[in-house]
Amino acid sequence: MSAPPESESHRAGSPSGPQGHGSDELRIPSEAELAEMSTEDLVRLGNRIDDVEVISDRPRFPVPGTRAEKRAERQVAGWFILAAIAGLMFIVAFIAWPHEWVPPGTDGATAYVLYTPIIGSTLGVSILAVGMGVIAYSKKLLPEDLTIQQRHDGRSGELERRTAAARLVQTGQQSGIARRKLIVRSMGAAGGILGAGVAVAAFGGLVKNPWKEGDESPLLVTEWRSDDGERVYLRKMDGVGEDVVLVRAGDLQPGSMETVYPFKESDRSDPEKLAETVRSADSPVMLLRLRANVSVIKRAGQEDFNYGSLFAYSKICTHMGCPTSLYEDQTMRILCPCHQSQFQANEYARPVFGPAARPLAQLPIAVDDQGYLYARSDFIEPVGPGFWERRSS
Amino acid sequence: MSDRTPRPRRRPWARAGTRTRRRVAGLMALGVALLAVGGIYAAVQPAPQTATGQDAALVREGQTLFDNSCITCHGSNLQGVEGRGPSLVGVGQASVYFQVSTGRMPLKVQGAQADRKKPQFDPAQIDALGAYIQANGGGPTVPAGTDESLIGSDLGRGGQLFRLNCAQCHNFTGRGGALSSGKFAPVLDPASPHQIYAAMLAGPENMPTFADSQLSPEEKRDVIGYIKSVSSNNTGSNPGGNALGGFGPVPEGLVAFAVGLAALIGISLWIGSRQ
Repeated sequence: MSAPPESESHRAGSPSGPQGHGSDELRIPSEAELAEMSTEDLVRLGNRIDDVEVISDRPRFPVPGTRAEKRAERQVAGWFILAAIAGLMFIVAFIAWPHEWVPPGTDGATAYVLYTPIIGSTLGVSILAVGMGVIAYSKKLLPEDLTIQQRHDGRSGELERRTAAARLVQTGQQSGIARRKLIVRSMGAAGGILGAGVAVAAFGGLVKNPWKEGDESPLLVTEWRSDDGERVYLRKMDGVGEDVVLVRAGDLQPGSMETVYPFKESDRSDPEKLAETVRSADSPVMLLRLRANVSVIKRAGQEDFNYGSLFAYSKICTHMGCPTSLYEDQTMRILCPCHQSQFQANEYARPVFGPAARPLAQLPIAVDDQGYLYARSDFIEPVGPGFWERRSS
Repeated sequence: MSDRTPRPRRRPWARAGTRTRRRVAGLMALGVALLAVGGIYAAVQPAPQTATGQDAALVREGQTLFDNSCITCHGSNLQGVEGRGPSLVGVGQASVYFQVSTGRMPLKVQGAQADRKKPQFDPAQIDALGAYIQANGGGPTVPAGTDESLIGSDLGRGGQLFRLNCAQCHNFTGRGGALSSGKFAPVLDPASPHQIYAAMLAGPENMPTFADSQLSPEEKRDVIGYIKSVSSNNTGSNPGGNALGGFGPVPEGLVAFAVGLAALIGISLWIGSRQ
């Protein structure tokens, strides 16, 4: 479509904008003339004002009431009827369809499984059919028109830019803001402090000293630490959150593994503290019982950390802190699923493969007079990945 | 002797009688004590881990099967053969049941891991093999009963325990996963409740064991119930119709994105098209 020649005059800086009011060839009708104009005349006038050119405006069905028009009408109405039916089905299914969970494989499981698909598809079909009906109406029944509206390219004309700028300058002069210093400064203070507040909210949490507690800073100690000498027992989870199940040395058969968490008797009646202890990221410990006649190599300084064939290692990978709990019982390797690090359980969990560079931290364990396992102390090194301030060992 | 004692007439009788009585009494006391010790011993001695009379025939049948099919790698006295197969003393019937009923044993070829395949023995033969191994060293046994008797009903607890103890290797819906050096944790769909129970007890290959002291029989049943409720061959466990591998939101999101986006593009093209 080639642009009509008049658009060139717009670009050349004529006073008329793209709206075309004030254009030379457009005569503004008077009040009386406006009142006399028909709908078609008004539309034509509007099109001229907006620089819209109607190329063709052909009715789909020039002769009303033909069989083809009736068919098109029925097709459009069909979509809306479908929307109504699907909507009704949605309401019925939403109210009456069995929505309560039943175990798979029992009676009614199939009906339950279909609940979500049924309400989803009926509501979806209903909404879709409304849209399809509207589109079908415009495609089948509205006149087939082709309309072109001129758009001006580039920046506005010189005259318009100068006048608009003058308007802004005048507003500024009239407000007298340049000589009202108090208002300028108080506004600056308000904006600056508000901006600083946003910055504090966004980044304030990052500004802190992680080492203000010295040797007891969070990165250096775990939930296995006991402040007042109270014994920290090994607790296992039995699938019921509030149950406290302690671990006896004999619970584990040779060649087994149990995930254990710290437990202090003084926390027993405090569900919040119990949950916090279990969920703390540095709490999980793998309690392993090696098979008999396995050769064991212990790390210097950790010779008495195990209890017989029971070894307790932190579950947190020393590479990136993933839970490394894929325990291969025959090879006695502990695998990390994130980056394929492997630790040798019978050789102080030293890394034998993958990116991890340090052994898993070992928890010193012992058995009390009732046979329950407890931690003799916290880990002697920080668990998990390294950090700048970590004293290497 | 008769001078000194005032009643010589009766004494010998009496003495003889007393002595006899004492001897008899002593013998009887000894007998009673022996009987009591024997009885107590019989009552409190541990049951011998050997074949009892009633399944001796089963054990003999198992030994015949063992001698025909397993002896090459596991040795004539179940002691194992270096470089071929481990000792089977003390592994128990659970281990035999798992390995043989899943077709992993007899092994086709030595490798990183034995694959599940069609079992070589029928259930009666598996029982016989199990009885033979059980008769030599004991070990854990799988409870008898129907499949349903091993499927627990507390799926919430079963799911918690599964995620705590099993999901790290077997994936949270039992899809399995890779281990080191070609080993892998298998998909749990084809395993029967008895096989899962046996695997937990015996810890086949690189799987750790879960003795009853660690995971009680009820907890094991709940774990099996959870596995069965999420296995992909279970019609009720995939509300969407297809588990998409059971890996969770990543493939599900990808499919929703690809299918949904294609549909939206198609509809947009249709709306914008001119007739």
